[in-house]
This record gives sequence, C-alpha cells and structure tokens, in this order.
Amino acid sequence: MVLQARNLTVSMQVNGEQIDVLRDVSFDLQPGKVLGLVGESGAGKSMIGRVISRNLPKQFAVTNGSLVFEGRDIIHGADTLLASLLGKRIAFVPQEPLTALNPLMTIAQQFGEHLDRNGVAHAHQLEWMINALQEVRLLDPKRVLSSYPFQLSGGMCQRVLIAMAFISQPALVVADEPTTALDVSTQATIVQIIRRLQKDHGTALLFITHDLRLAAHVCDHILVLYAGEVVERGPARAISKDPQHPYTRALQAANPSLDGPLTRLPSLPDNMPGISGFSAIKGCRFGPRCPVGDSICCNAVPQLREIAPGHWVRCSPACQHAEPSTAPLIEHAAIRDNGAVILNATGLSKHYESPRNWLGRRDGPGLHAVRPMDFTVRAGEFVGVVGESGSGKSTLARLLMGLEKPSTGQISLDGRDITDTSQQTTQLRLDTLQMVFQDPQSALNPRRSVEDLVTQVMESHLKAVTPEARRQRAQDLLRETGLSPELIHRYPSQLSGGQKQRVNIARALCVTPRLLIADEIVSGLDVSVQAQILNLLLDLKAQRQIALVFISHDLSVVRYLCSSMVVMRHGKVVEQGPTEQIFSNPQHAYTKALFAAAPPADLDCVWPPEQTSL
Amino acid sequence: MAFLALQLLIKRAFLAVPILLCVSALVFLILRLLPADPIAMSLPPGATQADYDMMRIAFGLDRSLPEQYLIWLAKLLHGDFGGSIFFRRPVMELISKALPATLELVSFGFMLGVLIGISGGLGMFITRGRWGEQVLDSSTTIMMAIPEFLWAILLILFLGVLLPVFPFIGRLAPDLTLPASITGFLLVDSALSLRLDLLISVLAHMMLPALALAIGIAPLLMRVLRSSLLETIHEDYVTQARLRGISENRIVIRHAFPNAALPTLSLIGVQGGFMFGGTVLVEMIFAYPGLGNLMIDAVRNHDLPVIQAVALIYCVLVLGINAVVDVIYLAVNPRLRLKGRPA
Repeated sequence: MVLQARNLTVSMQVNGEQIDVLRDVSFDLQPGKVLGLVGESGAGKSMIGRVISRNLPKQFAVTNGSLVFEGRDIIHGADTLLASLLGKRIAFVPQEPLTALNPLMTIAQQFGEHLDRNGVAHAHQLEWMINALQEVRLLDPKRVLSSYPFQLSGGMCQRVLIAMAFISQPALVVADEPTTALDVSTQATIVQIIRRLQKDHGTALLFITHDLRLAAHVCDHILVLYAGEVVERGPARAISKDPQHPYTRALQAANPSLDGPLTRLPSLPDNMPGISGFSAIKGCRFGPRCPVGDSICCNAVPQLREIAPGHWVRCSPACQHAEPSTAPLIEHAAIRDNGAVILNATGLSKHYESPRNWLGRRDGPGLHAVRPMDFTVRAGEFVGVVGESGSGKSTLARLLMGLEKPSTGQISLDGRDITDTSQQTTQLRLDTLQMVFQDPQSALNPRRSVEDLVTQVMESHLKAVTPEARRQRAQDLLRETGLSPELIHRYPSQLSGGQKQRVNIARALCVTPRLLIADEIVSGLDVSVQAQILNLLLDLKAQRQIALVFISHDLSVVRYLCSSMVVMRHGKVVEQGPTEQIFSNPQHAYTKALFAAAPPADLDCVWPPEQTSL
Repeated sequence: MAFLALQLLIKRAFLAVPILLCVSALVFLILRLLPADPIAMSLPPGATQADYDMMRIAFGLDRSLPEQYLIWLAKLLHGDFGGSIFFRRPVMELISKALPATLELVSFGFMLGVLIGISGGLGMFITRGRWGEQVLDSSTTIMMAIPEFLWAILLILFLGVLLPVFPFIGRLAPDLTLPASITGFLLVDSALSLRLDLLISVLAHMMLPALALAIGIAPLLMRVLRSSLLETIHEDYVTQARLRGISENRIVIRHAFPNAALPTLSLIGVQGGFMFGGTVLVEMIFAYPGLGNLMIDAVRNHDLPVIQAVALIYCVLVLGINAVVDVIYLAVNPRLRLKGRPA
C-alpha cells in the first residue's frame, strides 16, 4: 500500500466553531495504480495534496483520521520525516507549469538542484537530465536545459516538471490539475507521458481534476468529492458508465457531449456552498441542490454504502435511482441561412510589426495574428471560433469589436462599413455589438455595485435617465440573466464565480445588442456553472434572437451552442462551416487532430491515442 | 550580453544629450532671472563704477543672454567651465577637488545603505510574525521619520561627542599630511601610497556622514525588499521548490531573494540619485569639502559659473547611475536579454 487514508478530516476554526472542510475521507492507493480525485472548485480535492505536503492554509488543521504513506504516519510524523520524503519518495506535478519554475534560473540549474538533493554527482547530472528529458519526449534536451522557463511553452515546462518529478523513482506522484492550463492537444500528450512514466516505474499516481471524463480515462479508481465530502468512490469504469450518486450524475450530464443527439444540459440550481455555508447544512451537503433529495437526507448525513464490490455511494437508496427528467432536444440548423447578415468581414487580417530597434530597423518579420479571412454572422446565429492559444481567435474578437485596427480588409455592420474606428462608427458598433470578457474577476470594477456595473452604459446619457429607470433596468437585466434582483446592491467580491459571469453578461445586454462577442467566457467556470451559462445563452437566443460569436478552445461547448463554426490555427482559418458537418466529417488534419485530442465519452475508445502530435 | 549592455549605454548616451541641454538651459535661465548681482557682491567696498564695468566685461555679463549661453556651451565642449567669480579660480579646478570627495562619500554611503537595506529587509522577512520584525519595523519608521540632516546632527552628538568614536569634521585628521594627489580619491591615494594611518583616518572621517546618507535610503529598501519577499514566497515556483524538499534557507536565498531583489534594484537606482541631493546638507554639517559644500558656497555668493557647473554635474551623475542600474538589471534579469517563447 502506498497511500492509505482513513476517516481523514480537515477542519477550519471560525469564531471558535469548527467547520469540516474535508470530512471523513478514506481511500487506498496501491503501487502502480491511479486514483482520481474529482470535484469542482471548493470541493476540497486539492486539500488532500496539501495534507500530504503539510501545506494547509492557516487556520486549517487535520482534526481526525490518518494518512499513512508506505507504513509511516505522515500527519503526526516528525517534520524531518516529511522533509526526507518530499522530492524523493513523493513528488508533485503542478497545475500551472509556466509559473512553477523559477523565472531567473535555467532549466539545468533547477533540475541540477533537484538532482543534488537526490545525491546525483555533478559529473553525471547532465547525462541524467538529458535522459529524463528524452523520456518526456523533449526533442532537443540540450537547448531546453540551457533555456529559461519563459523561453519554453507551457507544455514544454510541464514536461520538464514531469521529468523532474519522476527522476527520483518516487513511490507516489501527486498531479494537481496537470493539464488544465494547457491546450487540448497538449493535454493528450501530457496525460500520455504521465501515464507511461507511471506505468514504467510502477508509481502510484494521485490525479486531481475537475474533469470527470478525463479522470475516467486516466484513473483506475475515482473519488468524487462534493463540498468536502466523498459522495462516490469506486472503479473509474463503473462510476463513469453508471454513476450512482445524483451529484456524480449531474456532473456527468452537465458536460456537453461530443457526439450523439444534442439535448438541453440539465443544470443544478445555485452553487456549491462555500466553507461558511457548510455548518448550516445539517444533512447531506448536496441535499439543498439535489434534484431527488428528500427530508431523510436533509436531516442526517447518509453513510457510504457499498452497492457493488469496491463501489461506494453516500446516498439513501431511495434517491439513488431517480432519473432526471428527459431534456428537450436542441435544434441548430433552422437558424442558419435564414437570418439577415448582421456582421460581415472580408479579407480581414491583423499583422503586428516587430518593434523597431534603435537604428529604426525592424528586428523580425513580426506576427501575423490573423491572416486574411472572411467572416459572417447572421441574425440569431451562434458562430463558434475554435483554436488553441496563439491561433488568433482573441485577436479576431478584438478586431470585430474595434479594439484593434485591422491591417487589411473590411468590416461591415448591417451593410454599413465600420472598418475605421472613428467616433461615429464606434457609436454604431456599440449600439449593435457588445463584448463579454473572459475573466469576470478582472472585467468587473470591484468598487462598483452590481447596479452600477450592469447599467454602466446608461451613464453616457445620464441626463435622460432617471435613477428609478436605471434601477428598474438593472433589476430587469438581472432577472433576464437568471439572477435575483436583490443583488443590485452587492459588489463583485460578494458574488460567486457564476454570478459574476452572469453580471458580466448582463452588462453587455444593457444596450440590447443584436450581437454578442464572447471570448472564452466559460473556460474559468466549473462544469455545472458552465451548463447554467450555456443554457442562459440559448435562452437569450430564443427570447431575443440575439447572435453570438463564441470563442472557445472547447469543442464540446461549441457543438452545444453553435450552428456554424470556424477552426483557426496560427492565425489562419483551416476549416469553416456548419457545426454538425464539421463534427461528422472533419476535412482538415488539424481539425481531426483536435477531435482526437479531446477525451471521448466512450470509455472503450483508447485515449489518449498513441501519437497525438500536431 | 556585453553587446546588449553596450547598445543600451550608447542609447542612453544619445538620450543624455537633449536632457543635458535642457537642464543647462534651464539652470542658466533661472540664474539670470534672479534679481542679484554677483559682480557687486564680489567687489570690495570702495570699488569704482569703472572697476565694476571692467569685471562685467571680464566675465562676459555685458552680452545678451543667448550669447552668454552659447559662449558657455561652447567653452563647456572644450572642458572649460569658466572662472569662478567668488573664488577667482577656474571652476574646473574647484570641481576636480570636490567631485572625488563627494563621489567617495556617496559610494561609501551607498554601499552602507544598500547593505543595511538588504540585510534589514532579509532580517525582517526571516523574523516575520515574531518580535524581531516588530523591532526592525519600528526602526525603519524612526529612520524615515527623521530627516537625514537631523540624523547627521544626532550622529555627531552620540558617536562624535558623547561617545567620541568617530571624527566629524573634514576628510582627514588635521595632523596628517596629504600625499601627492594621484587620483583625488583619498581612499585610493592613501591605499596606493601604502599609508595605512591615512586610510584609517579617511575612513573614520567618512563614517558618520556616510551613515547619515545611508539612513536616508536604507529604510525604504528594507520595506520594499520585505514586501516583495512576502509576495515572492507565495509564488508557485517557491511552493514547487518546497514540494521538492528544498530546505527553507535555500529557498529564500536561491529562489525568493533573486526574484524579490528586482523591484528593490530599480528602487536603488532612484535612491542613488536622491543621495546626491542629500550630500548638500550632510557635507555642510560635517564640513566635508565636496560638491555639496561647493554648491552652498556658490549659491551664497551668487557664483553663477560654479552653480551652473555643479548643477550640470549632478545631472550627469544621476543619468550615469540610472544607466549603470539598467545594465545591472539587464545582467540579472534574463527576460530582458533573451527572446521569449515563439508565438
């Protein structure tokens, strides 16, 4: 046994009250096996990694249970015991590879420091490092070693970190969302590398992720966490094929699928409670949001029950089998070709010149962020723009919105040319087009109330607007975006992530635009919140015939929302057309590779595919 | 690296030309607009109008302002700062004596200040949350609350008079004779002529004024370094290093400090410029024969050529320090010299 947790409980002290942020967690991790910890943000999945490294936030402490690593108690053991294990027997792969390496040290210096600690003589270090980097398929190890982290891509940094983690032949590797910050295609490669090293070395892997579908492919066993509690635990296949707990089912259903009929995503009401909300819930922590829950689960915490060998569920037998109501089908095809053209761009491109040096010469060819492309949006049409980082998809959004001046090409709005960014065309643009930014955290001014934020645009003609009218508008907008009108007095810091994104959308709706441009607006959200926002956008389409340019790296989300799509790579459009056509019969090699890189819902497909090089 | 540094210095030298022209014109203009007559102030009582006119012509003050400025500039280009009206000597001679003294004092004070600042900042960080931090934190407040000229007086009082450890007048003990001037820098000269007694005396004389100057820059450095260390220690790469089992001391020295030192370094550049301003009062209090004292004498006597020259030299020194800090920045921050990842 590599790692064994028994009734592990982590608590936080708030005003003398003890709140369990991780309650009664038990699991066994055998050598060479992969255990997945799955849950949304705030579920407590990262807490277990922090217990292992004794890196709990202040005020948090283990209050009950045990965690035993290779027969040694790592909660109560001496600090020196832990120090002797970290980096040798236990290794960590981080979430953000780009920030997990010291920016002022070369890869060789950091790797060398790690080898020093593991007692590798200086004379042999170079050889060790080159071998290790070749093992993670870095093609030019010598160049990588002499580079600083900022000279490498996220995927390359993650490979370096994986190579470092496995070099000491650890018994346990903890990987906390190792692919979340990476592109889809890179995700497949990284998962493949981790899996191969883990198998070759017989290492036990603790794989922490928010993505149930990914976990199903990577892990042998899965632990589903909700609000600090294990709701379901068992073999990955069993849980993924036939989830028993209502939360696991909801989590799985909230993720749009890549094939099959499109049905409206069932979405849970509200959000997972925060730590401060835990103590108010007497029974099952999922109870208040449970679609099938009854009074029994709301009064007492259900015990974990073994429903099949090794498959445990924390739910009363009555709740378990209730099926959620069947969702209505979504029909995309009707809209296309029917609506009038709102936005039309022809030959649109953006080229950034490289900066002039001090002699006035340009150092390089510059960057072709967007190569000449045509782009059309019709009334009520949802157009998806898919691409990985650096594909030019965000630049396209900024061009359409007039935040960047195109290098070539024309943009017209309702047949009127708006290519230049004069005051007149800007006004025209703003009445029709609105943008929703990616990160609501930074897009919403933290010092303004929700009412001010969503009706900000009315400030430019304040004389014509009474305060009452403004308040009324704010309340209408909140209602329309599924928020309680009482929130108008709140500030962004008092809202949850999903609420913030709704406010962000409500703000864009204030001028009743006919076209929204949304840049990765769901990528930072949990799947259940993502489902809520996606449904909101579909509702807006039904009610207002609003059109949408939806920029995303996530194919399944684009399939769910959009009737047509554009695939971009390195600033070029590689494929463009109706969504279902591209999904059923992709033409370009890059599009095919993108599909292959996304983990499929079908567990019998081998994923990641053996070679996913783009 | 060397090429980039050279390129940066050349760029800076080009930029310095318009800056220096502006400063010189500004200083020149302001001084001429002041309602004071340097010639009248420098003449003995009983001088005649003829004497006065002769002096005016000798110093070129009878010409038009643009003419005067251009003549001054032209002479400057040949390394001639003109003659001092009050001291009746070439300005160049006065400056060549005073500049090394000030440079010596500022370098020493600067090193002292950076040393106190960095060790204090590290100390505050390492003792964070304990009483050590409280003590250091209060000491920075005290250091900042008292202006440096007052520190000079306090230092004289405590370390010069009550507890006579260090001398506090001039650059050298009066009973010692100067060696033949080699560089003008007494520390260098005394070391070159192997005079240990001289060296000790020079250092002892510099101690208190340098300390007063150091106190002017150290507390801000301490605080900035501490707060950037507190930020850096929560960076992912520090956590990741900890998860690799690297010892806490090594993490602070190898990972946190170099990254936290970058903002501190830019601050040091700014403060280095301020320090020259601080020398004016401190040199006067310690009767230290440097640029600051020269400036005060010149201002008191409306010695226009000297004021202009010293002001211009201050400007060159500040520009020089900024350029040096930029080169150091280039050396310690790879992001400034290497291209990032391909887009």
